[in-house]
Amino acid sequence: MNNRVSRNEYDVFTRIKRGDNLVHIGTVEAETDDLAKVYATYIYDEEDWVEMCVVRRDHIGWVRHPEGLFKKEEAGA
Amino acid sequence: MAEQTAGLTSLVNLIERIADNKYVLGDRLVEVGISGPNLEATLSAIAMAQGELGHARLLYNWSFDLKGLKGKKPEIASQSGKAFPQVVAIRNWIELIAALYTVNVALELVLKALLEANHADVVHRIHKLLKEQKEHIIYSRGWAQQLLADGGTIPARFNESLDKVLPQAEAWLQSVEDSADLISSGYLPSGTNLVASFQKQIAELRSARTAVNAG
Repeated sequence: MNNRVSRNEYDVFTRIKRGDNLVHIGTVEAETDDLAKVYATYIYDEEDWVEMCVVRRDHIGWVRHPEGLFKKEEAGA
Repeated sequence: MAEQTAGLTSLVNLIERIADNKYVLGDRLVEVGISGPNLEATLSAIAMAQGELGHARLLYNWSFDLKGLKGKKPEIASQSGKAFPQVVAIRNWIELIAALYTVNVALELVLKALLEANHADVVHRIHKLLKEQKEHIIYSRGWAQQLLADGGTIPARFNESLDKVLPQAEAWLQSVEDSADLISSGYLPSGTNLVASFQKQIAELRSARTAVNAG
């Protein structure tokens, strides 16, 4: 199934109560932005979040990335 | 008074029809959804099953109230026989998505029409239900679009499943739209175009270029 459809990874962020920090709680893989929202809603339903959002991983603008822990990784990067 | 009774009877029938479909869909979402194509779809199907079964319970209890049943509500051991035959016949993922989308779109149209009539006894019962229903539609539409864009025999099999359940939903919508009892009792506004709206949404699904991430 799904030989024409690719899936993207989305990071899921939530805030439990107003004033709390927005916390990264996990990820979902989804075929569309709408499905990512629905998947996040149903999978991460352990709290009555005041806020929840999903961000497509490849839409994040990285300012700094951790360097590789091993020489081999750095060399291969 | 007789008119009110006829209206109430029609409303009870309508509520039971919605509850039965939700009850069976909840059962099928667990039975078939557990072997969904990927982890996220499976987990969501199981969570959605709880939602559908919860809605069914609320609606059954509401129908018991309308029928004047006092005290402890009866245990629901099975549907009352008003679920669409194709919903009962769901055996695989393709049939599940076709029925889930079709039934939820039809139910949403009816619930919105009930809300529009603004009958005091009805509005507070269905407001939250309608909101939760939205996610079920987004989920099933997302999957319907994927199946229609898939390769091999899957789009044809999906269309075939859709064609089986559509007439059953349309016939029901037509009977609701034409129900003089519901309209005269103020439960439904006159001049609703349930069938036309339903057909429009299904046509849009079939003709839409898929919005999924093409690989």
